[in-house]
Formats: sequence, C-alpha cells, structure tokens
Amino acid sequence: MIRVRGLSKEFGTHDNGGGVLALSDIDFEVHDNEFITIIGPSGCGKTTLLRIIAGLIPYDDGEVAIDGRAVAGPGPERAVVFQNFALMPWADVLANVTFGLEVRGTPPDECRDKARRLIKLVGLEGFEKRLPKELSGGMQQRVGLARALAVNPQILLMDEPFGALDEQTRRLLQEQLLRLWEGQRKTVVFVTHSMDEAVMLGDRVMLMTPRPGKVKEMIDVPLQRPRSPQVEKSGAFVEIKEYLWENLRAMQVGES
Amino acid sequence: MKKRIVLDWALRLAVFIAAVGLWELFVSTSQNFLLPRFTDVASGLFRLLFEARFWEALYISNQALILGFAISVIIGIPLGLLAGRFRWMDRVLNPYVGALLTMPVAPLIPIVIIALGLGIAARVFIVVLFAFVFITVNTRAGVRGVEASLIEMAKSFGASEGQIWRRIVIPGAMPAIFAGMRIGLGRAVTGMVMVELILVASGLGRLLLEFSGRMQSDLVFATVLAVIIEALALLAGMQALEKSITRWAPDISIG
Amino acid sequence: MKQETVAKAAVKSRAAPTVARLPALRRFTRENAPELLALVAGAALWEVLGRSLGLQWLPPFSKVMEALAQFVGSGVILANLGSSLQGLIVGFSLALILGLLLGSLMGRYRYVEKALDVYVHALFVCPSIVFAPIFFAIFGLSDASRIAIIVVYSMFVIVINTATAIRTVDPSLVEMARAFGCREAQIFTRILLPASLPLVFAGIRLGMGRAVKGMINGEMLIAFVGLGALAQRYGAQFDAAKVFAIAMVVLIIGLVSNAFVQMIDNRLTRWAD
Repeated sequence: MIRVRGLSKEFGTHDNGGGVLALSDIDFEVHDNEFITIIGPSGCGKTTLLRIIAGLIPYDDGEVAIDGRAVAGPGPERAVVFQNFALMPWADVLANVTFGLEVRGTPPDECRDKARRLIKLVGLEGFEKRLPKELSGGMQQRVGLARALAVNPQILLMDEPFGALDEQTRRLLQEQLLRLWEGQRKTVVFVTHSMDEAVMLGDRVMLMTPRPGKVKEMIDVPLQRPRSPQVEKSGAFVEIKEYLWENLRAMQVGES
Repeated sequence: MKKRIVLDWALRLAVFIAAVGLWELFVSTSQNFLLPRFTDVASGLFRLLFEARFWEALYISNQALILGFAISVIIGIPLGLLAGRFRWMDRVLNPYVGALLTMPVAPLIPIVIIALGLGIAARVFIVVLFAFVFITVNTRAGVRGVEASLIEMAKSFGASEGQIWRRIVIPGAMPAIFAGMRIGLGRAVTGMVMVELILVASGLGRLLLEFSGRMQSDLVFATVLAVIIEALALLAGMQALEKSITRWAPDISIG
Repeated sequence: MKQETVAKAAVKSRAAPTVARLPALRRFTRENAPELLALVAGAALWEVLGRSLGLQWLPPFSKVMEALAQFVGSGVILANLGSSLQGLIVGFSLALILGLLLGSLMGRYRYVEKALDVYVHALFVCPSIVFAPIFFAIFGLSDASRIAIIVVYSMFVIVINTATAIRTVDPSLVEMARAFGCREAQIFTRILLPASLPLVFAGIRLGMGRAVKGMINGEMLIAFVGLGALAQRYGAQFDAAKVFAIAMVVLIIGLVSNAFVQMIDNRLTRWAD
C-alpha cells in the first residue's frame, strides 16, 4: 500500500531565493492491487508526484511510505514505465527487457528466460533481436512495459505511457494493459492527460488542481471489471467523464 | 544566476593562475635555458607593442590574410550556392571538395612558390587554398538545409526562381554561410601563419626566425602569443557578427 | 502489423535480385558516375594543360603518376612514410587518450567544464600551427616536437566532441537506469558510455583528419624527417612532379585513416540514425 501524507515539493530555491511550489499538502492512499489514475491540467504536478513515489526526486515535507517504509530512492518493489519509452537505442528488444534484471544481478539465463516470456506476453514474440529504431511507438512502449514487468514489481508507476502515441495505438495498448492487469493485479499508479483513459482504466481517479498541485478529489469508478471498450458508452462512464471535464475546464479558465 | 557566472569566472581564473604557476615551476627547474618565464613573455609582448618592426610585420602578414580571405569569400560562396542548388554540380565538385577538405594544403606550398614566387601573390594564393573550401562546404550545406517545405510554400504563392532565392534560400542559408566564413577565417589565419613559417620571407614568420636565431625565446613566445590573440579576436568578432545577423538559427557548422 | 511486414519483405525480395545481379564494382561505378567522371576529366585536363603549357610548376598528370610509382618502387617513400606514420600513431594515440579523458571529465562534471571550456575552445579555434615555434623552442629538432604538434592539432576536437557527447546523453535514459536501481558506476558503463559513442566517434574521425594535417604541417616546419621533409627537399629542387606525388601520398593516408575510423564507427554505432 502506498500512503502519502502532507507531501510538499518545491523547485528552484537555490539561485534566486524564490521557488515554485509544485506540490502542496498532498494526502492520499493507494490500496494493494488497486489501479488508480491521476489526472489534472498541465502544471498540477502529477508527473512530479509520480517521480517522488518512484524515488527519483526527493520531497521537502510530509511522508511517502510504501507498506510502512518511507521512500528514500528507487526500490525493487516499484517499476516505472516512461512516456518517451526510455529504451536504450543501442540494445535490442531482449537486452532492453533484461536491463532491470541484469542491474539487480540476476543470472543471465534467468534474465533471458523471464524476458522471453514477457516479450511473448506483450505480443512481441519474434522481435527479440530488433533495435528500437526498427519498432513503431506502440511496440517500443510494449518493450518498456515488458521491461517493467520483468522485475516483478508490486507497484507499477506509469507516467503518461501512451501520451506519445496516436489514438488508435493508444486504444490498443489500453486494452492490452487491462488484459495484462486482469491476469496479475499489481498496484498501478497511472498518470494521464486523457479523461477517457482515466475513467476507462482506473478503479479510482485522482483529480488534481494546479499551482500549487493539490488533490481536489478522489472519484470512484464503479464500472464492472473486466472493462471492455463498450463500457465507454455506459451512462456511468459518460457521467464521470463529464464531471471530470467540468472540473478540468474550470481549472483552465485562466488559460483562455 | 549572477553568483554562478562569477563562480565560473573565478574557476577559470584559478585555472589560469595554476597554469602560470606550473609554467614558472617548470621553467625554473628545467635545464633548457631557451625556455622563457611567463613574466618574460608578458613583458616581451609589451615591448613588442612599442616596436615598429612588429607592427610592420603584422601589417605585411595581414595583407595576405585580408586579400586571401576576401578572395576566398568571393569564390567560395557562389560555388557553394551553385553546389547547393544544382545536384549535378554538387556531384561533380564533390571529389575535389572532399580532397581539399581532408588533404593538408601544406605540401603544395613549395609548388605554389615555384609558380608564383616568394611575393604576396603566393601568400594570398595559399591563404585562398586553405580557406575557400570550408566556405563552399558550409554554404552548400546551408542551401541544402533550407527546408523543402518552405520552398514549396513559396512556390504555392507563385514566387519566381529569383524570388525564391532572394527571400527563402539565401536568408535561410545565412547562418551556415556565416559559420562557413567564421571557419574560413580561422583557416585563413592558419594559411597565413603556415606560409610565413615555411617561407620565412616576410612578416611575422620572418620576425619569428630572427628572434629564434638570436635565441630570444621570450620574444618568440611573445610573437606567437600575439598571433593567437589576433586570431581569437578576429574569430570573436566574426562570431559576434554572425550571432547578430542570424539570431534565429541553431548551430550546425562543418569544420 | 504483420501484414505490413510481409508486404515490405515481398517488395524487398523483388528488388534485390536485380541489384544483386550486378557485381559490386559495376554498381559502385553506376552510383558514383558523376563523381568518377569529374575525377577522370580533371586528370585529363591536368594532363593536357601539363603537356601544352610546359610550366615548371605544372607537370602533366602522367609525370606525377610516374613519380608516385617511382616512390613506391624505390625505398625512398617507405623510409619517410614509416617515420611519418610512426609520429602520427604516437601523436594520435596520445591525443586520443588525453582527449577522451579530458572530454569525459568535462562532460561529466560541470565544474571541470566551466573551468576549462574557455581555454579548450580558444585552443581549438586558433591556428594550431602557431605552437610549432613553441614546441621547437622546448623540444628542439626532435620527434617530441613533431608529436607535440600532432597532439595539439587533434586533441581539442576530441575533447569538445566527447564532452558534448556525454553532456547530451538523453536524461530520460539516465533516469530510467536510476529507476531500475543502477548505481553511479553502472550508469556510466551501461548508459553514458554506449550512448555517447556516435558523437565521440565523430570527434575521433575529425581528430584523425587533423592529426594527419598536424603530421605533415609539423614535418614541413621542423623538417628533418618524414614526408614533409621530402616535400621541402623536392620543392627546393623545383621538382613539382615529386611534390605533387607526395601530396597525393598524404591525401591517401588521410583517406585511408578516415575510412578505417569510419569502419570501426559503423560497427559500433549501427544502432544510431
């Protein structure tokens, strides 16, 4: 379980004295095996929040704990999937997927076996020897997903993973992600810009406001699992999505 | 922000002082009596600034530089524009340009001397040989680099060939052309120094030989320092000009 | 997605036989026809002008080729080529070691970069040949002078490229590595090193070209051994054909060494675009 209490993060205090308060007094919990999505306008700090939970950047105030232990850096129970894939361009698919395992000292045979299984699971069997530049965006992100799953994390942290993809690919990958998750329900924290995605994927949606980033509301998504694409037409889906848009649009008023 | 800039310069100054310190240490412990101390070099340079023969030498050397650079620009830019515009011309010139880029010009200097003698004509020609290829190559890259979509856009508005050149291609290629001129200038200075050191007939090269012959190594170093300063000043000036004319462009130069 | 790849493979296999039927040489000639024609035309023009104008400084192309053949035949070129290349290898290796080391430090540590960047840039842009009199004063008429000149010629482009290469490694890759638990050393060997290879090699290739120039320029000034000395000697004898022949030898050295570095580059950085 992820527990965040009174979290604050400020950027840029060193040089000119003034800083930007990215996150202020963030409070929420993510239960085990829960899939939560985080949505908010640009500048609300959702990516910063994710990176703090991942242990990639430090926080100034408050508490971030995983199963009771405070987060002080990256750890084996968490794995990240990045928006721009972050694949090593000089390594083939297999080598990219085994990366996390290799770093932890897993013996090479085991690495390769696990990797091959996952490559098959994400539907990229046969592409083990390909280089990232030979793959489409969707395929590259599937490699990123396989890499994250390979280290068998409890928690999957996903930073707008489908943001760089076109709509059709995005939808396919959403379906695939849900299928994978049904197979093994890890705890997932999924940051997104897309309301469709937030409601489609999440058990709960965390709505954030910007400047400084705060949690406005945790919205339950009581839609049946497993979720099929049909669910988008259901009344509940449309209702929640409209609710999100009302709020998000109101936050953007300053923009127009 | 300001604090950081001050810190950076403090670091650079520290490196300079450390380097000078090492220099002094090295000289004082060395057997080589031809090695001047930093202070000797500095005072030597100062003295030179008041000697007529230094300024004469500088004038003679720079004649070749200025003439040579001007001719390089006059030859280099049009060649580059043509190579950029006409694919066949580019391919025909390519092997020669490639050869001149990679080949050291120095071995050809004796031939130029046989042909043109020891006078200013030879020196100018050598400077041109050193410099013009780089101007051509960068100009060509600049022309090729102008986005095809911009030219297409101009055509869609009915622009003539001349208009496309004047309003799209040449302004678009400007940053690269200027980069080429900056690099060409550096090469021209190299050519100027190179020919003088090999010919030692006139100018700074001759001065260097004189000082060298009379074991006045502090003046040798001082003269070299003067050349370095001149080169850096010229290049900095060119770069400032370049930046002011082409503020919108990223840095993509060859050489 | 599977359909696409099948279709693409089909297109590829249809085109392949036609091209593969021509032997490689014929294909090379066909693809580079304008360039080759230009070279042949140039040589022909040289020949014609050389014969007709009868200038001392412009021998016919054939005479230059004769001199070149003569060089190769007699031992003359070999001895001097040997000492030139020796100096080149020692000098370039030194420049490589120093350049990569300094470049890595500058790329990795901001303070090192800020302290030295002004000097590295100045040394890079100023005409490296000016250091010849200085090295001559320090080392006299010796190999050390020649080698020092080669180092100064080639080192700084390697430093600058290496520093830029390391500094511009995609930060998200570094972040990714840290997210998966890499320590500093692992980040260096697994991410920084491979990612910076393309740019580093660009620097090495440029450095190689500069080293060859430094070799010949240095030898022409501190002319007691090597191809440069030969060039000076033949120049003094007004033997233009031989001087041109030497220039060609130097050109060939430049091209071969460049191709060599390029080959290694291609092997190691096939993944880059």
